[in-house]
Amino acid sequence: MRQKELIISFIKGLVHAYGQIFFTNQRFFSILLIIVSFFDLYAGLCGVLAVVSAHIVAYTFGFNRTHIQTGMYGFNALLVGLGLGIYFDMSLALVFIVVVSAILTLFIAVMLEGVLYKYGLPFLSIPFLLVVWVLNLAASEFTALGVSERGLYTLNELYASGGSNLVQFYQWWNNLVNNNWLTTYFISLGAIFFQYNVLAGILIAFGLLIYSRIAFSLSLLGYLAAFLFYKMIGSDISAVSYMYIGFNYILTAIALGGFFIIPKKTSYFWVVLLTPLVAILTISLNKIFYNFGISIYSLPFNIIVLLFLYVLKLRYKPATNLLPTVTQEFVPEKNLYSHLNYKNKFNLFDLNIPVQLPFFGRWTVSQGHEGEFTHQGEWRHAWDFVINDSQSKQFKNQGDFAEDYYCYGKSVLACADGYIEEILDGIDDNAIGEVNLDQNWGNTVVIRHHQQLFSKVSHLKKGSIKVSKGEYVKAGQIIAEVGNSGRSPFPHMHFQLQATPFIGSKTISYPIVSFLLYSGEGTQLKQYDYPKVNDVLEKPLSEKLLLNAFKWAPGRVLRFEDEHRKYAWEVKINYLNQTYLEDQDTGDKAYFQYNNDILIFTNYLGSQKNKLFYFYLACQKVSMYFFEGLTLKSTIRPNEMYGKWMMFFQDFIAPFYIWLKPQYSIVYQSERASFLLNKMDLRVFIKHRKSNRSQEHFIEINELGISDLHFNIGDKSYHLKAQTNHL
Amino acid sequence: MEKKRFERPIITKLNTGMPNKIGLKTEYQPIRSIDGVAVKELIENYGSPVYVISENTMRSVYRQAYQAFSTRYPKIQFAWSYKTNYMDAVCKVYHQEGSWAEVVSGFEYDKAVRNGVPTEHIIFNGPDKSIEDLEKAIRNKSLIHIDHFDELYTIIGLCDRIKERPQVAIRVNMDTGIYPQWTRFGFNYDNGEAWDAINRIMISGKIDFIGLHAHIGTYIMSANAYRIAGNKLADLAVRTKAKYGKAVSYIDFGGGFASKNTLKGAYLPGTDTTPSFDEYADAITSSIINSEIKPEDMPTIVLETGRALIDDAGYILGTVLANKRMADGTKTLIIDVGVNMLFTSFWYDHKITPAQDFSHHTESAKIYGPLCMNIDVIREYADLPPLKKGDQFVISRIGAYNMTQWMQFITYRPKIVMIDQQSKVHVIRNNENLDTITQLEKVPEHLKSIKK
Repeated sequence: MRQKELIISFIKGLVHAYGQIFFTNQRFFSILLIIVSFFDLYAGLCGVLAVVSAHIVAYTFGFNRTHIQTGMYGFNALLVGLGLGIYFDMSLALVFIVVVSAILTLFIAVMLEGVLYKYGLPFLSIPFLLVVWVLNLAASEFTALGVSERGLYTLNELYASGGSNLVQFYQWWNNLVNNNWLTTYFISLGAIFFQYNVLAGILIAFGLLIYSRIAFSLSLLGYLAAFLFYKMIGSDISAVSYMYIGFNYILTAIALGGFFIIPKKTSYFWVVLLTPLVAILTISLNKIFYNFGISIYSLPFNIIVLLFLYVLKLRYKPATNLLPTVTQEFVPEKNLYSHLNYKNKFNLFDLNIPVQLPFFGRWTVSQGHEGEFTHQGEWRHAWDFVINDSQSKQFKNQGDFAEDYYCYGKSVLACADGYIEEILDGIDDNAIGEVNLDQNWGNTVVIRHHQQLFSKVSHLKKGSIKVSKGEYVKAGQIIAEVGNSGRSPFPHMHFQLQATPFIGSKTISYPIVSFLLYSGEGTQLKQYDYPKVNDVLEKPLSEKLLLNAFKWAPGRVLRFEDEHRKYAWEVKINYLNQTYLEDQDTGDKAYFQYNNDILIFTNYLGSQKNKLFYFYLACQKVSMYFFEGLTLKSTIRPNEMYGKWMMFFQDFIAPFYIWLKPQYSIVYQSERASFLLNKMDLRVFIKHRKSNRSQEHFIEINELGISDLHFNIGDKSYHLKAQTNHL
Repeated sequence: MEKKRFERPIITKLNTGMPNKIGLKTEYQPIRSIDGVAVKELIENYGSPVYVISENTMRSVYRQAYQAFSTRYPKIQFAWSYKTNYMDAVCKVYHQEGSWAEVVSGFEYDKAVRNGVPTEHIIFNGPDKSIEDLEKAIRNKSLIHIDHFDELYTIIGLCDRIKERPQVAIRVNMDTGIYPQWTRFGFNYDNGEAWDAINRIMISGKIDFIGLHAHIGTYIMSANAYRIAGNKLADLAVRTKAKYGKAVSYIDFGGGFASKNTLKGAYLPGTDTTPSFDEYADAITSSIINSEIKPEDMPTIVLETGRALIDDAGYILGTVLANKRMADGTKTLIIDVGVNMLFTSFWYDHKITPAQDFSHHTESAKIYGPLCMNIDVIREYADLPPLKKGDQFVISRIGAYNMTQWMQFITYRPKIVMIDQQSKVHVIRNNENLDTITQLEKVPEHLKSIKK
């Protein structure tokens, strides 16, 4: 059994190595690329040999198996193998050279990964470049190896393998596509696989289109930009020396326009701007490399992509565009839709550390981010909280004493689990109107929630701190009381999040996971949001019934049944700490993130016919809070709601405009109870204004958990009942 | 620390300029209007005497109280004590603010239901609940606070007939260090009776035991008493959880918060001596937060405070009927508000303020109501400026109990008006007339005519 798995993963790795050259792990495209590589039989064989040797060594050395399986370690060796196969005649010596070069390529890849990893950069095709140059320079001494003449006499070869019909077909093709720029485009694509012919280019272009509309349009965009640039400078892109390396523009466009960066207007714009740079580099580097008698291959692509990605990482201000892809799904469209989905659901933050409001009851923000008084510069992402009465006054009587202020002496809570990092106490409360500029922050507590996330509350009441340094506190635990120490003319609570542990560290922008916002329009539940000045807020309390239904510990199995079959969805967790439900029969997976505030489903892998998929759609965003009439809205990725054809067109313009926007809303309904709710219905509506693909789902919850699921899609409806041994 | 400054001792004669046991200096202003409506106008339009309730005061006091608790503890629920004032309009203001209902009789229960309170949000207290009342409350899933063992047995008996699990709490009494200790309601904590009652409920298996209730007394001037009550109730909650694995959903601290009225015989005025909501809230919430109840089991704190919420919002306006000097030389004033309308005058020295301008010269007077009864005394002594017949006055802080414990006696009960937040006046209860009083009477046939 182990062997069978090993062989399957080996084959997967082999296939994916081909796709990796175009940044994909899509099987169809990869197989197409394999076929293209076998246009030249020996080159194709050398390619396979190179990947297999690299992978065998990678396995025996115990390198990262996921990387092997996704072809990450194989694709550079593949390129080396293909290059050798094209250049030399087949011989035993060649086989030996392919194997050792593949191993060298692998080592360089692993080494570069180690070096570049800490900069968060990919190694691209640098290993291939280094090895192929080494071989090129040494080739003149490889006298035993015959230099291949294949490729020089294309028609002869075609005649030999397919007779006159094939030759005629080939010429017909050449005439048909004998459009200057288009031909060069196809040849440039084919050149990636050392196939300098139009047919190979067309097949690759077709595969590219099937794989990703965004990648396809980017390939054209990058190429055209270069084409026009050459026109502008009075050079000719179809000149042989440039044509063979035209893929540099294409790969740069795909990499920066949509693969390593979320495809957006700005990324397309930068593709147009950067392509001329690639062209200039190509010309100038060629001048240097010519002297050594070697080609520059994909060097300009590597230089520009790495340069640009690294430069983007050094931006000081939080980026709002040209955002790097965080979770690579290997398809630009998917990256984009996931990104938009994430942005909508998490406000660009994930759930790892949910930060709650640090108080009980209803408070008012007296100074928000970028506040007009002190929340500026490095301390701009802070909040000041006070309590106002119904007349919007912060104090009773005349407000001459700290005790008159409603917030004075009120409990300060830990905003999230963590360790007490720093405590400062012993500073007297100021008289009203005075400030203590010597001890600016006053009495302060800093909590460490994570190596890079600390929270700080300041101006606390002298002697009120109830925790000690190093102590572990739970979210919501009382840690101190509000006071009036430090730079505080009247009692208030200063709250900020920071990435470093010091009192006085600069602030970071980090959202509050959930809060109730009171306004003239009623009560709203805000999630992953930032309270603004004058907002009236309260920390919500999670509902036991919902916690019980959705707090899924790994190992728990949700069991449902309908008239057809039984469903067993197991809660699992993987080594990346991702939690997901897995259908025990089909292996389909629905990924989710959960904390005591909210359940959010993020991704689904598997058959969309499975009821697990409907469940995944129904539970896109479920809050653990409840109040009468609570309605939450969210978005759903369009590629999960619409068919391939609809999406085909949407994909092309997705970086600019999304017109397929399914709207998800969930309405909470409950039977009234004195204290503990014992029954609740969640009604889910998924709608799109431009189609009738509406869905309506019901999730019924009782004390035992989810009792019933009703899925209504179009005119079909399904009813799943929880099995009695649910828990 | 700075050294305290020494002041040489002085001897001064007691005078009425300082608050002392003789009385207060009369440096106060006349009350010409309430919430922007002239007293004169109110009396003109609605008669004298007339009860006035300020919606504005009701809401703002409620919000102060709610804020005092909710900024200290995450789960707070107020329940309006119907017996304090069950005028529909009054109750509805509190229900609008989020208050549940706390009732002590079938009548109040029905009134709460009629006011639209969800039955799950009605707390049924008191020693007198009929079988019918209990049955109704059980079916409606109202919260029944059991007062004595006989009631518990009745409920257990009803369970067999009604296939519904009663939602109950027990009322607990205890020593909280104050005098008098109220022991007549509920089960005693200190002698183990309360724990005994909990055991019987849990062992019966037919009842959902979800809460604990204590009402330690009335007009409690020491917030600390609530802290002691909280500790004892939390102890019962922890023991219940430990023995039966069942966490109570709520702890009801009842009422008993003092209003700002001055009790008879008090040395200092109520405005200076009664604890603020903050002090009560601090004692109550910290007793639960600091208890051994686990964070995930933290109960809702329920408060049934009545008097402290409504007292300040109520006024009675009246007119001077006559001045009179008694045979012993005591100066007396006869007004048209009697003890039947101002029941609380038996407890408090109500503040009486003229509604028109006056000088600062005052004289001590005894104030009588209009009833033809010797006990009709509103104030034994009050320092008031000289008032003439027809002068108007305002008696403040009378919102609690007067509109429920009042008595129809000798004459009709007057109108009750409410001034809303836009200073609009609404009659919320009309005055009585001959028909309203006599409509329930029945005269036997042979007495229909008084001619022989």
